[in-house]
Amino acid sequence: MFPPGYTFLTWQALVMFVALWELAAWLAPGWPSLLGEVLPVLRSDVADPAFRQALYGSARRMAVGYSLVMLIGVGGGILLGRVPLVDQLLGSVAVAIHAIPGAAWVPLSILWFGMTEQAVIFTVLLGAAGIVMVETDTGIREVPPPIRRAARTMGARGINYFWFVVVPAAIPRVVNGLRLAWAFGWRALMAGELLTSINGLGQRLNQVAKSQDLDRLLAIMLLISAIGIVVDGLLFKRLEHEVRVRWGLA
Amino acid sequence: MRVELQHVFKSFPHNGETLDVLHDITVVVEEGEFVCLLGPSGCGKSTIIHLIAGLERPTSGAVLVDGRPVDGPSPSRIVVFQDAALFPWLNVLGNVEFGLRMAGLPKAKRRARALEFLRLVHLSRFTHAYPHQLSGGMKQRVAIARALALQPDVLLMDEPFASLDAQTRAVLQNELLEIWQLARPTVIFVTHNVREATGLADRVYVVSARPGRVREVERIALARPRHAEDPTLIAHQRKILGLLGEEIEEVLREELGEQVHFPEAQHPVPPEQSLGMHI
Repeated sequence: MFPPGYTFLTWQALVMFVALWELAAWLAPGWPSLLGEVLPVLRSDVADPAFRQALYGSARRMAVGYSLVMLIGVGGGILLGRVPLVDQLLGSVAVAIHAIPGAAWVPLSILWFGMTEQAVIFTVLLGAAGIVMVETDTGIREVPPPIRRAARTMGARGINYFWFVVVPAAIPRVVNGLRLAWAFGWRALMAGELLTSINGLGQRLNQVAKSQDLDRLLAIMLLISAIGIVVDGLLFKRLEHEVRVRWGLA
Repeated sequence: MRVELQHVFKSFPHNGETLDVLHDITVVVEEGEFVCLLGPSGCGKSTIIHLIAGLERPTSGAVLVDGRPVDGPSPSRIVVFQDAALFPWLNVLGNVEFGLRMAGLPKAKRRARALEFLRLVHLSRFTHAYPHQLSGGMKQRVAIARALALQPDVLLMDEPFASLDAQTRAVLQNELLEIWQLARPTVIFVTHNVREATGLADRVYVVSARPGRVREVERIALARPRHAEDPTLIAHQRKILGLLGEEIEEVLREELGEQVHFPEAQHPVPPEQSLGMHI
């Protein structure tokens, strides 16, 4: 199931993290213990139906936002790479959008959509679609010359050439873009929720900070980090590795 | 099919200058003939293959296949490349089926045809392996099966065995000859290995470098399989190596910008002691 030599998280790294945290708690007054205080708070939060609502809300927005990112990112990338007119008109726009961090889209999103779910999804979309577009565009332009020559001599042209050669040749790039987009999207989601007060993990963070509840604040941050790591490590990293091996790049 | 290059010149733009790659090349390959193009690196051998394949056009002169000018690639002229150029996302079977799929063959038919040619190159056990799991020699077997499955009239081979070890190369050369004698396509085989050229070809075109010109055409009228110690074969190899010795000197002189000279008749390894004889 895992590529050889691949470990998602080593127990050594986990032990080290816990030890350093506990050492900090012991040395610095006011810093809560991870095992004694933060994790119990996290456990009780996760058991709380209201908190779960927030968690599901975040998951739903991420799912919708990321689906749009895949659709618009890959579709837009293909248009940029294949249609010279689109590239000339919109190529630099895509790069410009890609240069703006997700959090910077939040004010505009709120202006257009108000403090709504759509504003958060729009933030995720604009924060993450650019990288997918840029990578897909690059991928479909970079069919290795030997592959291109072999395909052409064997009679691949037109739609067949695109579908059976250009698309598969681009997949490593597209997967790389999707992996980065997950990380960008997750950040954008948190920024969006933090600022729109839509019921979600980001908004919870804002609440507990206002009530100066450090244990709970750290617990939520740990959860945000853990979700990011787990999805990247169990899904995207593995997918990317398998693609790189198959395509002879690893 | 008869393949003909008539007074072909080819130049490429290179750093703002024009680089002459081929200079007045005339090559005639009869239907069913096995011809080797032999020359040092940089002599434009691959460019000749690309011209016949229709991947490039001559700057001037004519490239004719079956009497008609070549106008773009065609599955009747298939190339086996040095690096095999398999599609990494397809397994062995998928790679061999690719051309047949492009030709619009129905699934059952192309599967049967692919398996038949994989059997011919002894890869029946590896139909579901992916290219990254194969050795260099196995990749070339797949590339050969992929080419032959399209039943081309002209088989173009661009140093297909150059990156393989000597043993694998010898085995594949013998198998190639056996297969060629079955289907009898016209074969144009590019190499920089004298023993390979003389072991395989009916005729060897010795091509000089920068720009590429035909120096000599050597007919090897020996029955196959040819014996490495056959004195006639060794005489052919000596003669070609003599020609190429001058060639290599010229290439080195151009690269190093000073006089480089090999003492006469003193090649680094005597032909009868070397398995590879790369130049």
